[in-house]
Amino acid sequence: MPPAQSGSHTQSDSEASSLRYEEATKQYHGAAAPAVDRLTLEVPAGEICVLVGPSGCGKTTAMRMVNRTVEITSGDVLIGGRSVREREPAQLRREIGYVIQQIGLFPHRTISENIGAVPQLLGWKKERIRARSAELLALIGLDPELGDRYPTQLSGGQQQRVGVARALAADPLVMLMDEPFGAIDPINRERLQNEFLRLQAEIRKTVLFVTHDIDEAIKMGDRIAVMREGGRVEQYATPAELLMAPANEFVEDFVGADRALKRLALMRVADIDLWEAPLAHVGQATAEVRAKLAAPDVEVPYPLLVDGERRPLGWLSERDLARDVVPRQPDVPLGPVLERDDVMRDALADLLQGESQYAPVVDHQGRISGVLSVEIISEFLKSPEAKSDEHPAVERPHE
Amino acid sequence: MSSPMLLATAGHVGEGFFRERNLENLPCQARESELFCWHWATQNIGRYGTPTVQHLEIVVLSVLIGFVVAFALALFAHRSRWLQPPLLAATGVLYTIPSIAFFFLLLPVTGLGRDTAIIVLAAYTLQIIYRNTLLGLANVPASVKDAARGMGFTRRQILWRIELPLAVPEIIAGLRVAVVSTIAIATLVVFISAGGLGTEMYGANLTFPTSIIIATTIVVLMALGFDLVLLTAQRLVTPWRRAAAR
Repeated sequence: MPPAQSGSHTQSDSEASSLRYEEATKQYHGAAAPAVDRLTLEVPAGEICVLVGPSGCGKTTAMRMVNRTVEITSGDVLIGGRSVREREPAQLRREIGYVIQQIGLFPHRTISENIGAVPQLLGWKKERIRARSAELLALIGLDPELGDRYPTQLSGGQQQRVGVARALAADPLVMLMDEPFGAIDPINRERLQNEFLRLQAEIRKTVLFVTHDIDEAIKMGDRIAVMREGGRVEQYATPAELLMAPANEFVEDFVGADRALKRLALMRVADIDLWEAPLAHVGQATAEVRAKLAAPDVEVPYPLLVDGERRPLGWLSERDLARDVVPRQPDVPLGPVLERDDVMRDALADLLQGESQYAPVVDHQGRISGVLSVEIISEFLKSPEAKSDEHPAVERPHE
Repeated sequence: MSSPMLLATAGHVGEGFFRERNLENLPCQARESELFCWHWATQNIGRYGTPTVQHLEIVVLSVLIGFVVAFALALFAHRSRWLQPPLLAATGVLYTIPSIAFFFLLLPVTGLGRDTAIIVLAAYTLQIIYRNTLLGLANVPASVKDAARGMGFTRRQILWRIELPLAVPEIIAGLRVAVVSTIAIATLVVFISAGGLGTEMYGANLTFPTSIIIATTIVVLMALGFDLVLLTAQRLVTPWRRAAAR
């Protein structure tokens, strides 16, 4: 699948770096077992890796090893092949974006000053910092006027956007995000997640994302590391792999019984083979239509009436077919109409809500492109194809 | 409070404490017992100039020295938490010593005069400034410090650019209390010949209320003035607090 390099101008001057854990271990004094035990993990440059697991599994500790807010006991973490252990911590951190759940904006600094904090530490010139702040405000979709406000004057969602912008300000090699949307209400959380994915499609940072929420992990991750106590990685895989082939019982339990349904959240209608609709046109002889229906590979039992532009109008009933020609007004209303870009989970919801077994799928111009049925979806979920490596997670739903 | 007479007989009270008052300057009192004598007041207002300036100097120097010491102590205690209880106890003990006793305890060491006065007054300010500075630093949200650290602020940068600016309201609140109480206590330094407005309160004739009222009024106005200045300063340096209130 092609990477979404649709952005007219990328915000990024520097290439994203890969991130590699090599037997990284954190042993706290007096603790019986290591918080993170010989963690080995590689995050390719430009991907979002989600560390997910129950609380106390060491995911945050593992994340904090990267910017040395937790010191590594043994092993190493490499950014772009360079060990973080040889770096001066403050210098290192200025090259790593850092977003936390509580946001931690500086209350005494304006939004622009908050965004410009790391550039200021790096000694950028004032004009450059100002320009960068303005650029990032625009990037996160905030009114430039808000730049002169103080954090307390912004909503929680706006503050978290600023938190992300602040982390991006000095164009970091790697981003660390610790439950960044955890404190946001569900509706805004979804919006922020989508916004971040859209942003990421443009900026292509290497992101280490920590969450305890498997749904968020599946949504955000290019790869997911499911962790359990001691920072042990039980499975490191793409969301699709994780859902279709959990490595063991722990992962299976963690992913949840509804993982088949979760899988659908990763797909769009266009990702699946649709049924071909037997089409009928107004004024066409019904004999012709009946012949189409009788063909051996036709799965849809009723013909779909379309206009001259192949846009669906409705379904023809037995009674319609009993006439000589196809009538202008079909007997059965159209019901739900799906688009090729629809998320599969939403499409299934539409089908169930419309109490229909199948629904026409149209392209951007509204022209028929096939029929999706509940049967197709359930067959797909059972098929070995669903377990294949070809993960559609890269092509994520937009909204 | 110790009687000035007793102090005088004990031989500790310095020159100028019992400044002679010309009885002709006390017309109201001489004739009738009035609470406030306007005539005398208008004739003698000029005599308050020097004591007021002395008073101001003593207060400003005391609070300044007290602030520098307490602030430094607070920064040490902020860095090394184990210092907090002993320092709190130490400044607390200083604060509980009765002022007159404190003055006279120091006499053998530092003698009469302004130095002793300033040492005692500065010592009194330590507790409140120390406590409020620590409180202000402790009130800085952990998430703000975590974010700052994770973004690459050094410890010193976190202290000076994040924690202290955010602690300004508490620090200034402490300063306000310190200044007002120092202005009041400084009226007692007259007993160790350090001058100030106490000179015009506890003068030769303790039963002359007019002068006490005038001196007290100046003290109160001075306290209000300082308070206003500090409050204004706080508002100017913490614009984000007003933004939050809107």
